Amino acid sequence: MRRRRIQGHAMLELALSAGVMVTCMAGTFQFGYTFYVYNQLVTAVGNGARYAAQRTYRGATEQDVERRNRAIRNMVVYGDAQPTAEMSPVTAGLKPEQVEVRWVFNGDGKPSAVDVTVRRYTVDAIFRTFTLDGRPSVEFPHVGRYAPAEAER
Amino acid sequence: MSVFKRHTGGFVLIAMCGCIFLLLAVIGLAFDLGRIYIARNEAQVFTDAASMAAAVQLDGTATGLARAKAAVQKLPAKWNLGTQSFEGVVTEFSADGKRWEATPDNASEVKFARVRAPENHLNVIFLSAVGGPLNFTVPAHAVSATNPVRLAE
Repeated sequence: MRRRRIQGHAMLELALSAGVMVTCMAGTFQFGYTFYVYNQLVTAVGNGARYAAQRTYRGATEQDVERRNRAIRNMVVYGDAQPTAEMSPVTAGLKPEQVEVRWVFNGDGKPSAVDVTVRRYTVDAIFRTFTLDGRPSVEFPHVGRYAPAEAER
Repeated sequence: MSVFKRHTGGFVLIAMCGCIFLLLAVIGLAFDLGRIYIARNEAQVFTDAASMAAAVQLDGTATGLARAKAAVQKLPAKWNLGTQSFEGVVTEFSADGKRWEATPDNASEVKFARVRAPENHLNVIFLSAVGGPLNFTVPAHAVSATNPVRLAE
């Protein structure tokens, strides 16, 4: 009878302490994973923007403009401007449509900078989800060649 | 038997209280180090972009140097999970990539622009509770060269 009472105490204490432990572990995982994903996104956005900054600005037709921007989005998402079907995104669930490419123009119509931003991307940290909209974001000056009459290859 | 009971009752809770300190330290490591790594990455991406923005403006004149400094200040970049603006950013110039000056006497010889973000003080939340530092500085710097504009360091 006495032994059973001792065992009951231990069970209760374990339940209490396990609750605290699991909550702490879950929180650690949740923030740790979210920070990991955010860090990956910062790197990806930086790489994509640097690629865009050094790329030749071609824009003979609307399709060329779209092709150029798609290549930049692919660079952010896959680390490659022309990804193959086997390539996976740098972070789970990131799609090229969630990357915004915005060009900043001079008064004379030439691109002076390119702004790359992540839009509406949800980090699924199992216990909770975080939606990133408008960050990470980076602006690089355009230092590539300006050839608006050329077509994208 | 009664002596045994007195000694084991509440052991898990006492042990748990002892472990909570260790647990806090581990959570602190995951949370604060995660933020520090993100801040370092954000600062590096910013200085990369800023040094290129400065190098683009260099044209061998004193006005070019002033424009380079203005371009760095104008760059819309944030850190600390995209919430804080960079402060205390330093823009310097060099002819050889070794000796750096904020306002070089001979602007026509300038070939490199360096941007330093030395004052990114990140508040440490959990680690400070277990005896760690109250804040952590995450400095970053980048060097860009002109003709053609490219990241040199």
